[in-house]
Amino acid sequence: MRNISSVLGRFTKGITLSFLMLFAIHSTSQAQDVKEGETLFKANCTTCHKVDRKVTGPALAGMSERHSEEWLVSWIRNSQAMIKAGDPAAVAIYEEYNKLAMTAFTQFSDDQIKNIIAYVKAEEVKLAEKANTPGGGEAGATGSSDANTWMIVGLIGLVVVTVLVIVILNRVIRSLENVILNNQAAILEAEAKNEEYTENKFAKFAKAFVKNKKLVGFAVLMLVALLAVGGWKTMWNIGVHEGYQPVQPIKFSHQIHAGVNQIECQYCHGGAFKSKNASIPSANVCMNCHNTVTAADHYDGELSPEIAKIYRALDYNPDTKEYGNNPKPIEWVRIHNLPDFAYFNHSQHVVVAGVECQTCHGPIENMEEVYQYSPLTMKWCVDCHKETEVNVDNKYYDDLIAAHEKLKKGEKVTAAMMGGLECGKCHY
Amino acid sequence: MDSNKKYWKGLEELNQTPAFVKGSKSEFAESIPVEDVLNEAGLSTKTPRRDFLKALGFGLGAVTLAACNRTPIHKAVPYVIKPEEITPGIPNYYASSFNGQSVIVRTREGRPISLEANRNSIGLNQGTDATTTASVLDLYDMSKLHNPQIGHKDVEWSALDATVIAALNKATASAKQITIVSNTVNSPTTLASIAQLAAKYPTTNHVQVDAVSYSGIIEANRTSFGKAVVPSYHFGNAQVVVSVAADFLGSWLAGEEHTQDFIRNRDHKTLKSGKMSRHIQFESGLSMTGSNADVRIAIKPSEEGAVLISLYNAITGANLSGGVTANKKAATAIQLTAKELQSNQRNAVVVSGSNDVNVQTLVNAINSALGAYGSIIDLDNYSKQYQGSDAAFQQFIANANAGQVGVAFFLNSNPVYDYYKSEDVKNALAKVEFTLSFSDRADETATTLKAIAPTSNFLESWGDASSKEGYFTVVQPTINPVFNTRQAEQSLLIWAGNTSSIYDFVKQNWEATILAGTGKDWKQVLQTGFIYKGTNSGSFYTFNGDVQSAASAVTALDKSIAGEVELRLYESTGMRDGRYANNAYLQELPDPISKVTWGNYAAINPKFAEQIGVGENGVVKVEANGYSVELPALLQPGQAMGTVSIAVGYGRYLVGKAGNNVGENAFPFAKLVNGTVQFSSKATIEKVAGTYELAQTQTHHTIEGRNIIRETSFAKYLQDPNSESGRFSDTHKTYDLWNKFESPGHKWVMAIDLNACTGCGSCIVACNVENNIPVVGRDEVRRRREMHWLRIDRYYTIQDVNEQNEVVGYTEEKKIKHLQDFESVTVVHQPMLCQHCDHAPCETVCPVLATVHSSEGLNHMAYNRCFGTRYCANNCPYKVRRFNWFNYWNDSRFDNYLNNEFTQLVLNPDVTTRSRGVMEKCSMCIQRIQAGKLQAKIENRKLKDGDVTMACQAACSANAIIFGDANDPESEVAKALRNERVYYVLEEINVQPNIGYMTKVRNTFEA
Repeated sequence: MRNISSVLGRFTKGITLSFLMLFAIHSTSQAQDVKEGETLFKANCTTCHKVDRKVTGPALAGMSERHSEEWLVSWIRNSQAMIKAGDPAAVAIYEEYNKLAMTAFTQFSDDQIKNIIAYVKAEEVKLAEKANTPGGGEAGATGSSDANTWMIVGLIGLVVVTVLVIVILNRVIRSLENVILNNQAAILEAEAKNEEYTENKFAKFAKAFVKNKKLVGFAVLMLVALLAVGGWKTMWNIGVHEGYQPVQPIKFSHQIHAGVNQIECQYCHGGAFKSKNASIPSANVCMNCHNTVTAADHYDGELSPEIAKIYRALDYNPDTKEYGNNPKPIEWVRIHNLPDFAYFNHSQHVVVAGVECQTCHGPIENMEEVYQYSPLTMKWCVDCHKETEVNVDNKYYDDLIAAHEKLKKGEKVTAAMMGGLECGKCHY
Repeated sequence: MDSNKKYWKGLEELNQTPAFVKGSKSEFAESIPVEDVLNEAGLSTKTPRRDFLKALGFGLGAVTLAACNRTPIHKAVPYVIKPEEITPGIPNYYASSFNGQSVIVRTREGRPISLEANRNSIGLNQGTDATTTASVLDLYDMSKLHNPQIGHKDVEWSALDATVIAALNKATASAKQITIVSNTVNSPTTLASIAQLAAKYPTTNHVQVDAVSYSGIIEANRTSFGKAVVPSYHFGNAQVVVSVAADFLGSWLAGEEHTQDFIRNRDHKTLKSGKMSRHIQFESGLSMTGSNADVRIAIKPSEEGAVLISLYNAITGANLSGGVTANKKAATAIQLTAKELQSNQRNAVVVSGSNDVNVQTLVNAINSALGAYGSIIDLDNYSKQYQGSDAAFQQFIANANAGQVGVAFFLNSNPVYDYYKSEDVKNALAKVEFTLSFSDRADETATTLKAIAPTSNFLESWGDASSKEGYFTVVQPTINPVFNTRQAEQSLLIWAGNTSSIYDFVKQNWEATILAGTGKDWKQVLQTGFIYKGTNSGSFYTFNGDVQSAASAVTALDKSIAGEVELRLYESTGMRDGRYANNAYLQELPDPISKVTWGNYAAINPKFAEQIGVGENGVVKVEANGYSVELPALLQPGQAMGTVSIAVGYGRYLVGKAGNNVGENAFPFAKLVNGTVQFSSKATIEKVAGTYELAQTQTHHTIEGRNIIRETSFAKYLQDPNSESGRFSDTHKTYDLWNKFESPGHKWVMAIDLNACTGCGSCIVACNVENNIPVVGRDEVRRRREMHWLRIDRYYTIQDVNEQNEVVGYTEEKKIKHLQDFESVTVVHQPMLCQHCDHAPCETVCPVLATVHSSEGLNHMAYNRCFGTRYCANNCPYKVRRFNWFNYWNDSRFDNYLNNEFTQLVLNPDVTTRSRGVMEKCSMCIQRIQAGKLQAKIENRKLKDGDVTMACQAACSANAIIFGDANDPESEVAKALRNERVYYVLEEINVQPNIGYMTKVRNTFEA
């Protein structure tokens, strides 16, 4: 029964999840102009503006109450012109923000600007709702963030089938019990007989088995073989950490950075193009963006606790925008651990061979948390070297190609043919 | 080939002692006691089944538990703010200088890992000596002080500054002297900072004193030419070089610079044009320079003066008394030498290793007569490496004893250890009110003083040097001070009340003085590392010395040291004056001649040893000048009869883990004669009880007398450049069992010029540093377990010389035993490393394919594959494979230098540290080859000759090692290998080695 109840628990959870998902999908459908406004806003405004709070420019919430729509349209199109013209409201804002001029957006049509304003209004409403129903948005977020929808559907199916099977089995058991109750005496008799019979049968079989030396030998051999195969397989996987996903000190998401925001790998891992180490970016590289990007819209207007860890590492105070004297480096947990005796050079693969990062690191742009995608075994290296063609356009290879008998015949030039399988190329 | 010519590595081999014969048969000194384990204590009948099962069960359980541990979590810690110039994984290079030589420091992630000579520096050497390459280890020395000290207690710098300034003020107030005692200071910045102190405290004076003094030369040049300097020598211009006990290729003055210059006149390129200089050496102990001489005459120290007098007489026709009379061999040699010298006027030079004013005056007279000034000896662009004055230090001690010295500072000076009268120094210092040392460790002198202001390592400091007149090199830091140290110049500035930082001070000093008029700015200097202000034009110098009185003083000196036994102290190539005694690389560097590591010894002639009853491993007591010491005896062929040679620089007791109590201090044997500290004296020697086994690599890895040295004479070479090269392939047809290895891309090969190699061993240290080769310590060396990938084999042979000193042949093997003495041996040095055979015997015997051939002609060694059968080492005809008996970097039994995380920072991150139980050997610096290739690929270009250099090659001043791609016909190495002198060692066994050697050519007097 405990089993069944836990299964049912999971079942309900699954159903709730799928409902929530449906809800999430539904809630995203909005008016067309707001949608266009959103695109424009995200492309042009987010560097300096947030709806809920002051960044470089003022917080936008309530701007429609503060100013008329016409005023806003002309301000957004060219604020400097308004200031020059002496509009008192414009000059006031200009003074308040230390004479920091807002970029002019003369390329926008009135409608486009109005769409942006509509979007900001819609966001305001959302914010207000959020404030009224705390936690309301969170469940939705969990539902939608779960990428494995298919798995959930499968699970639900499985649960249904299991429940059915259990119910049927229960029925069968109950009817059998009834039969037993009815024929107790007959059964007892038969049981006694049966016991004797099975005992005899078993003993006989055991005796015959022991006598048959060949059979015993065969059975032992099979057992040994089974253990050996099992052992062999386990042994080969010792030290192979495919899928290794340690907990990192910062919940850094490659999915957001490389996937959603399309930041080039090289921006942070510049070493991969120059050096043997891909190198983890130092905290000052993070600050190039996270100086302003605080992800506060995901944390109720507060600074993201993960980004706060960067600030802590740098001893940076976001309010005063000052750096302290007590920085502490972030201690990441290394995911890809090559042994000391294997030499690997990123630039050789990335620059010379032009190998994509994803070839070895997997769908990194989809990884919420990074895990080891490839086994990093020697077999894996060697297999790739055997197949990968060498970029013979590189002038380095000119003499080599000319001298190589096999290559003259127009065969495929793989890394292996260039000595990529030789021990000393990686082990020294 | 001369069938009767025999080369031998050591006396054990020559005499075929039972121990040697036994040792030579097995690859490893001690076999593993497998039989013992199996027979008695191990698995014999005594072991019951239960014990076996218990052991088995425990073993299984232990293995299972060990396998169950979780994978250790490795942290990856990036920079908080990455310095712009650093990319992890890519080295940075900085120009700096060491002992006045311009060097390039390679750093990785901000830590220096190796030094190489600055190949662009004009007029300075292009190779490095062993001490320079090894110096990077000193930065990571755990024995250094972590804080300044007063009275052996750590204090803050501010407290120390207050104490020092108070002491300085007190001394000034009471008009007492403030003396800075240092070794030679040629750094303009250091001199300027001392001047700052002197400006603030007017009683300041600066005394320079060197442990190995050259004040004799300085004094002699003052009286002879009116210029009190040590000249610089251009041996490359000399056709004839005569050296009387001067180790001018090794420890005498600027050995590396001399080597480069001298060998230029003898290497394969010069020989190709049919030219070669001649080098004649008169000396008592067999020095490295003597081992490279074309003609070497063994003389006693007391005959040095006589030889010079005879030479002077023969050259000038003068008739000074006191010439050589007793030693017939030397007398005839002098006549021949004089003839040679005279016929090469202006292209001949005589040098002497003596520190006596009169001897050097005599040498000046001879060189003046030969016209060597201007062409070979340069008094205008004189050397500034040794300016110490023995007299000045004497005066300081007298002043201190008289209570006239208020404050004494010691900068790079350790007189309590290296002054011949240590007690006098201690007593005098006790009378000085305040004493302080700038030493980086609590050394022998520093511990007797009141305070220590530890100076930073040169890799942590700003500074400069000027080792020669007109040459300036800059010292720039490559790392922040690791400990709480402060460089001496900065301390001096602070005490002088100058608040500027040392960086500003150096920069301003350069801009104001050195850079003025050169058209270069400070930033350019930091990039190039040096300034060369052009050679001063040759002024004419006339000799004004008094030869007559000098000669009679020399004769008197000779008489005072003449005796039945005479002692001569010398500086060894690695240890020098003992400054680097805590450097494990240098301690384990085999002496070029004796091949002894970790310690000094009393070198005596084998026949002389027989006379006094000392055998191998014997111990002798040497007594001279009221000091005596017991030392292991070394039977040294080539040593003059009745002489004993002892190296200084050993026997330090407060230097650190590696160097404490290694050998015995020989400095107290020195004495003051004619105002200079001299290293020769009368002595007594006697056998004492006990034995001591020196850690000698001499006969390890023997090649069993196979014909691997090819030597010819210059006369024969001129007739036939092929002479004696004995190339096997010319006369034999070879057959292959194996398929031919194809090397379509690169084929990495090496050419080694035996005529250029002096055996100095700087390549060995460079290889150690580059390839993380562990130091194993004295005991392990005794067990033949040294790890050096590259060794220099030293072979002796004995020539038959007639009365006229002409070589008539080689002493036959059976005659050798009946020789009167072992004085006239000749030596060949042969660098031996993995030959990267195309038919490598090691490869075929490896059961796990851990060592295999590459398509680039290299013999690869995969450590992770090796499981230590050691078959390969057993099968290697060159004996170049080394087995890791222990985890030397992580084993408390080898706690001499590397056993801490700090010192491990010196390791080259591109090379694996090998663990116990695996074989290793020369990889042909494969990490450098791969890096060079990758750079070419990234830059989308072909690999050029010279893009890849070997660590050993880069260190070699003599250019004896040439490396490159044989598939490139225009490469230096391909050209060198086309030379007629090239032969391959053990070519006849058809292993097809990839390292070609060039025959040794000796410019002997021919019959």
